[in-house]
Amino acid sequence: MKPILRAVRLTKVYENEGVRTPALQGVDLEIVPGEFTAIAGPSGSGKSTLLHLLGCLDKPTAGETWLGERRTDQLDDVSRAHLRLREIGFVFQAYNLIPVLTALENAAFVLELQGVPREERNAKAMAALEALGIAELAHRRPNQLSGGQQQRVAVARALAAQPRVVLADEPTANLDSKAGLSLIELMKKLNEERGITFLFSTHDPRLLEHVKRIIRLEDGRVVADERVGAA
Amino acid sequence: MWGLAWRNVWRHKTRSFVAGGAVAVAVVFTLVFFGFVTATMNGMVEVLTSESGHLQITHAQAKEAQDFDARLIRNAAEVEMALLKELRGVRLRRLLEVPALISGETRARGAMVVGMEQDEALGERFAREYVAAGRLPAPGSWDEIALGQALAKALQVELGDPVYVFAPGTDGWGAAAYTLVGLLDFPQTSHEIQAAYLSLEGAQELAAPGAVTRLQVHLAAERGAPTDALVEETKARATALLGEEVLVETWREASPDTAALLDMMDPVMTVFSFFIFVLAGLMVVNTIYLSLVERIREFGVILAVGADRWRVMRMVVAESLTLVLAGTAVGLLAGGLLIASWADGFRMPGFDEVMAEYGLPLVLYPSVTPVQVAVTVTFAIFTALAAALWPAWVAGRLQPVEAMRHAA
Ligand SMILES: Nc1ncnc2c1ncn2[C@@H]1O[C@H](COP(=O)(O)OP(=O)(O)OP(=O)(O)O)[C@@H](O)[C@H]1O
Ligand SMILES: [Mg+2]
Repeated sequence: MKPILRAVRLTKVYENEGVRTPALQGVDLEIVPGEFTAIAGPSGSGKSTLLHLLGCLDKPTAGETWLGERRTDQLDDVSRAHLRLREIGFVFQAYNLIPVLTALENAAFVLELQGVPREERNAKAMAALEALGIAELAHRRPNQLSGGQQQRVAVARALAAQPRVVLADEPTANLDSKAGLSLIELMKKLNEERGITFLFSTHDPRLLEHVKRIIRLEDGRVVADERVGAA
Repeated sequence: MWGLAWRNVWRHKTRSFVAGGAVAVAVVFTLVFFGFVTATMNGMVEVLTSESGHLQITHAQAKEAQDFDARLIRNAAEVEMALLKELRGVRLRRLLEVPALISGETRARGAMVVGMEQDEALGERFAREYVAAGRLPAPGSWDEIALGQALAKALQVELGDPVYVFAPGTDGWGAAAYTLVGLLDFPQTSHEIQAAYLSLEGAQELAAPGAVTRLQVHLAAERGAPTDALVEETKARATALLGEEVLVETWREASPDTAALLDMMDPVMTVFSFFIFVLAGLMVVNTIYLSLVERIREFGVILAVGADRWRVMRMVVAESLTLVLAGTAVGLLAGGLLIASWADGFRMPGFDEVMAEYGLPLVLYPSVTPVQVAVTVTFAIFTALAAALWPAWVAGRLQPVEAMRHAA
């Protein structure tokens, strides 16, 4: 199968006030549709950086990124924004949601950015909330939701627009282990039932038991790429 | 987008109330200010034109003339007839202004003796405004005179005393004795010390039989003051009718200083309220900018999930517009109510003297025109856009990753 995400000799060096921090040092990687992959590695190993580059959130120092057939590392800000809007779903570690919007409005936010009419986007957002088991919380604001519920809303937002791939940077880091586990299980269910491609980072080893593929990073290099027999 | 903007604006209630309140105050101030200045200007025009007419007709060479003779419109009766026939519904005041020496029993002074005859309504108004004691000379009387209070004092004469007028070298008697029947109180002392009024016939007998030096045409408007366009049109008709012999001037041409002052008021008011809006705008900038920097991370996520820079900039502008328009709505309401509450006239307590001194009406009727409301709202919208400029620029330069890493 053709890869949906591809990194070729991907390198990122941060420069801050003359200090050079190499975050990625020549990463090669391919993700094909339908995969459920974790990026694991210690703090500072470059997990977030890799996800940001693959998700067209940032530009690499060298190397290539591809989204399907399209090379993305050369694109300007606005084109990258359009790609993110249409093709990629994002879940971040924290502060995902817009505090003044309800769960439903947050879940519909990407669709609103896409210009989907209200009725349609509310229906789709509601369906996404249902898929994550939080339809009854649709009209609560984020501050009336638990951390786990907030992250489910964030996943619902990422899914509602039916992207080609969902990238999640430590989606469970701010959750207790039970909530974290149940979020991962939900994501996995969506992956299995609907074939949604997930790529997420974590440093919680217990979560790795549930994934099909683990990419281990250390010091900005891929040190292992294991396909796990699970599932 | 507007719903989101509205909710974001009220996230910080106090701050937004202050900034929105500043806009509301600017709107109220501008409306009330426009209302009062317009009322004052209309009042000034009213006072001025009730004194001098909307049109003045003088001898064509009156301005350059050295001699009294050269200023005379000798065929006054003909001119008058022609005017009244052509311009229906106007009121006339006929004046013969004679420079003369005027004296009581002991003292003398140079003065401008004015023979005046007019439409009844104009006469009543003149008497009501200026007669402090006694009355005006009776129409057609040959031996009655009214003096400015200051002049009477200078001549040491009182009501009932004889007053002598010398106008040598004229076509009339050149000298006559009168009885002082009235004392006049003019707001400007410089005018009061010069003012002496006879009946027109009395003055003609004294100096120039059958002639006048000035005809005032008072236009009656349906409502309020006659428009400049009407005044100009009437002038054109009068000029065509009367020919080269006489000069027809509008009140604007006859009192260019006042007209220039009035014309200046609109731009001055506009500039003034512009600065008020600049001040309110600074508070809006502050509010919008702070609410941006407090939400950098949130903007980071919004960018990350696919909003482009234009979208984010529009969000900032929408917040500014929402805040300013909310303030404007409150301001329009409050300003409108205030002005409506003065619809029956506003009289500054204790300021009657001052107002009269400056030729202002005592009672003002503030009102605003739709154009002035439109100007106010336009200012508000520009304030919102200008206030959003800098925050929107900052928001437009945010990079998603950096913004999400931003320490709150
Ligand atoms: N904006 C930046 N400026 C400078 N250095 C950065 C920046 N972002 C990341 N780094 C550095 O790059 C390296 C990789 O960072 P990255 O955030 O990708 O690691 P990570 O694996 O996600 O770590 P964590 O598990 O703590 O989230 C680290 O050394 C980090 O300090
Ligand atoms: Mg990270």
